[in-house]
Amino acid sequence: MFSEQAPPTAQGLLGPPSAEPPTFPRVPVLGYSDCSGPFQLAERSFARQYAHVYSVRLAGMRPVLERRARGLWGKDVLVRKLSELQTGEKCCVVGTLFKAMQLQPSILQEISDEHNLVPQPPLPKYIQPSDELILEDELQRIKLEGAIDVQRLVTGTILAVYGSEQDDGRFVVEDHCLADLPPPLPWNGPSSDRFVLLASGLGLGSGSGEALLGTQLLVDVVTGQLGAEGEQSCAATISRVILAGNLLSQNTQGRDTINKARYLTKKTQAASVEAVKMLDEILLQLCTSVPVDVMPGEFDPANYTLPQQPLHRCMLPLSSTYATLHLVTNPYQADLDGVRFLGTSGQNVSDISKYSSMDDYLEILEWTLLAGHISPTAPDTLGCYPFYKSDPFIITECPQVYFCGNAPHFQSKLLQGAEGQRVLLVTVPEFSTTQTACLINLRDLTCQPITFSSFGAEDED
Amino acid sequence: VTYKWLSHTLGVHVNQAKQMLYDYVERKRRENSGAQLHVTYLVAGNLLQNGHVCHKIAVVREDKLEAMKSKLSTIASVHVYSIQKALLKDSSPLYNTDYDIVKTNLHNCSKFSAIHCDAAVRRIQPDIPRAQTSLQGSSQRESDTDALRTPTTNGHGPLAAKHPPQPQKGIMGMFAAKAASKPQDTNKETKAEAPSVSTASSKPPTKNNIIKNFFGKAAMNKLKVNPVPEQPKEEKEVVKPSVAVAEPESSPNPVVEKPGKRTESARIQQKDRKSKMKHVDRSDNEEETDPENAKKKRKRIKQLESDSSDEEDVPPSPTPEEEKALSPPPAADLKTELEPASMEVSAGGRKRKRKRVLKSKMFIDKEEGYMGKAG
Repeated sequence: MFSEQAPPTAQGLLGPPSAEPPTFPRVPVLGYSDCSGPFQLAERSFARQYAHVYSVRLAGMRPVLERRARGLWGKDVLVRKLSELQTGEKCCVVGTLFKAMQLQPSILQEISDEHNLVPQPPLPKYIQPSDELILEDELQRIKLEGAIDVQRLVTGTILAVYGSEQDDGRFVVEDHCLADLPPPLPWNGPSSDRFVLLASGLGLGSGSGEALLGTQLLVDVVTGQLGAEGEQSCAATISRVILAGNLLSQNTQGRDTINKARYLTKKTQAASVEAVKMLDEILLQLCTSVPVDVMPGEFDPANYTLPQQPLHRCMLPLSSTYATLHLVTNPYQADLDGVRFLGTSGQNVSDISKYSSMDDYLEILEWTLLAGHISPTAPDTLGCYPFYKSDPFIITECPQVYFCGNAPHFQSKLLQGAEGQRVLLVTVPEFSTTQTACLINLRDLTCQPITFSSFGAEDED
Repeated sequence: VTYKWLSHTLGVHVNQAKQMLYDYVERKRRENSGAQLHVTYLVAGNLLQNGHVCHKIAVVREDKLEAMKSKLSTIASVHVYSIQKALLKDSSPLYNTDYDIVKTNLHNCSKFSAIHCDAAVRRIQPDIPRAQTSLQGSSQRESDTDALRTPTTNGHGPLAAKHPPQPQKGIMGMFAAKAASKPQDTNKETKAEAPSVSTASSKPPTKNNIIKNFFGKAAMNKLKVNPVPEQPKEEKEVVKPSVAVAEPESSPNPVVEKPGKRTESARIQQKDRKSKMKHVDRSDNEEETDPENAKKKRKRIKQLESDSSDEEDVPPSPTPEEEKALSPPPAADLKTELEPASMEVSAGGRKRKRKRVLKSKMFIDKEEGYMGKAG
């Protein structure tokens, strides 16, 4: 665990000043390679339709699913396209799932003049018992019924169903399967303890001061200013810090400039200006001591559609002069010290939780890994770039650490796959509310939360 | 007085500062002097919470110290966090002290820490300006009018960083000197304005050293233009420090045509931009910028007096067009370039170049309904 060697010298600093105190060198970066190339958009043309995303997704995942189907239901199971279906014949079909939901906010309804409806307010969950599942492949679609959990699945998942078509055009499902874990990567992890700190939801600019001391304590621990000598030497084993999104708080999103009259807002700055300055200072303190990867999140000044592009350098003038600052994309994939990391800032998971009966972020995270796709609900309910050549969200190689940011609380789980994959699933909690960050030990893929607290006006127990 | 404050003020290692604080407390307590000192401690350790072994780090008041220590299963470290005369109600004074002291030595904040990182070196200067200028170039292509300035470059982000517009390298030195450490306030300030496309010219800044000199004279701050609100016409300007130099144009021709720009052209363009922007400012009655602008104007004029092709100070006017109309004849040529359409490249310098520029601009001029002179 973190700071295991610390206790012996725990009280060391309760004494008169000693001779020159030791300084510890930060562990050098063993190996870092940024694998988020597919998430960086070069040219951006939105002139394409989004249907291409689904077709490349299906084309990309069809072979995997067919293999899996054969493995599950026998080598000679018939894999048919929807157009080749014959009534009553048991076969397996691979396609994209579409969930017809009544409550799903539809832009067509909103702008429909006849209805004169007020746009639907955002709900925490849009599922209803009357939702239906429809399977689509390249040419046709068919309604699904049977042994399939309608509430749990979301639009955009590619799956294989095994069953037969009925006379009235419905497909009765006996069994279904997802793509399951992708093939594993060889393990190149470090042999000694090395930690990566994962934090998200710093929530700067929110106007609440309590979280700021926590953030400062976090920075102090990582830069080695806090703690006795033992703790500091342990902090020196933190080889990297990843900030997974939502560095600014939701309060900075106020769009007063749109709603209010111009003469009221002319001289005011957007709230995010101050917040970004604060972020810059915090990042500067971190960067002088440890490599940092900064991912944009839902409330950060980056684009809305996934994959979110890195934050712009000129927003962080002080800290971007350091080579230790890396601004990275939102689904972020990288090889840190030989361990493959893959993670997002949480938008995909929260979107799935809105359209599915799954509530637990860890469960959803695991489900996306099993489904082989980082965010199946894009572009249906989550903004996405219209890809047409390939879908970069398909998980092709099994990451060794899979995380999502801005979860309500910290959870972690080590998943073991059939082909020897070991994945550490981590839901990184929001720092601004929970004052908790995660420390991942790269040597043995364990995770430990680290909480900060200070004393407030009232007595804490 | 927190340990961090002490360490920065005295220039000692943080651990020594903590020990000093402890020593001080002990001595004062032993002397039994009347003054009551309130001490806060930092406790760190492992604690079982929700089934996880959670590492907890807490700042606690002295009276809560033992309670906290007993809660933790293993204690990793305890040390004095701060000392104060009065009992603290909450931790915000601690945070504020630390914040202030860190802010004053922002770049050396890790000097006294216990961990040194070899990888944390400043990037070499050329990297920064190049990125900056290329970013400006790409951001100028944006034509969104969000109130929040989105930093996304449309499709040119990675590319912009990659294709170092060679002429823009000139900005490097200039920026290295000034912009690197300056928080780019303008970027943030210009929220209200639309970072719009300036359809006109770009100034391929080929004059590297010259710009350096130019900027050497005028403080960088002066060049940071204040927020420029959107113009009713397409005349939109992207307000950026490096501004004038790196505007990619909609049509590639002028870019090609201006390979051999001179200092003066750059300067003049700077001036043009600035004057234009200033006028824009004035037209929107932003008082606070006026005195500064006036100062800027004056300073620039002084510097560029030697330049024959310098345009004179244009009197402020409500709209940029009027201002152009008022421009004195010698500057007329230059002014004609400052068409409503855009931040045009001030031909400046040689008349030949000016003509060339104008000719290429003729299309735009005509579109705007303003017949530009042929120089």
